Amino acid sequence: MVDSDLGVRNETYGLFVELGRAPAPDEVAERLDSGTADVVASWRRLHDAHALVLDDTGAIRMANPFSAVPTPHRVHTAGRSWYGNCAWDAFGICVVLQADGRIETTCPDCRDTIVIGVRNGRPDDDSLLFHCLVPAGRWWDDIVFT
Amino acid sequence: MNLFRSEEHIDRWLAGRPPGATIPVGTLAELADAWWHDRLAPDWRPHTREQNQAILDRLGLTGAFWQLP
Repeated sequence: MVDSDLGVRNETYGLFVELGRAPAPDEVAERLDSGTADVVASWRRLHDAHALVLDDTGAIRMANPFSAVPTPHRVHTAGRSWYGNCAWDAFGICVVLQADGRIETTCPDCRDTIVIGVRNGRPDDDSLLFHCLVPAGRWWDDIVFT
Repeated sequence: MNLFRSEEHIDRWLAGRPPGATIPVGTLAELADAWWHDRLAPDWRPHTREQNQAILDRLGLTGAFWQLP
């Protein structure tokens, strides 16, 4: 990762929040008045540094905590709906947007919907449990599975 | 990384697989705040391994399972 990648990364995140979806490389390039190929190359370096996650086509898959694709972790906050990559990221979306919100997720066991209100960063139901299956040392072995 | 209503749901979902780690949702919210609070900051820099490990340690998430590589 080189210093200029941080500017690309910041613009990518800024556009994600502004648009409510992952930006395409040409959208980031236009904002930065740079070339699309430069953004693509920067994204690859950021991916290798675990600063974002690309899919097999080179598109944004995760700008953690945001997911570019639908997941079982829906977050309603800051006037929009978003997808988190996991339950941890769902809370993270309220954190990064500095807003209260509502998380709708699904119990992987019984498939029931679980709805959690988030106020001032705190869940409104303290009885719920978070389970992390993969040890921290292996989170990035397969971050989509993690 | 999912939310469950109880340990019974977790056990049934694991279906005999080795469990990972289970923490209260309140701790998860604290973890999310510490982990993500600077993510949109203009001066954001990647957290070092030591910074992230300190976050886990501070929340009591210690032991081999929570050791970052």
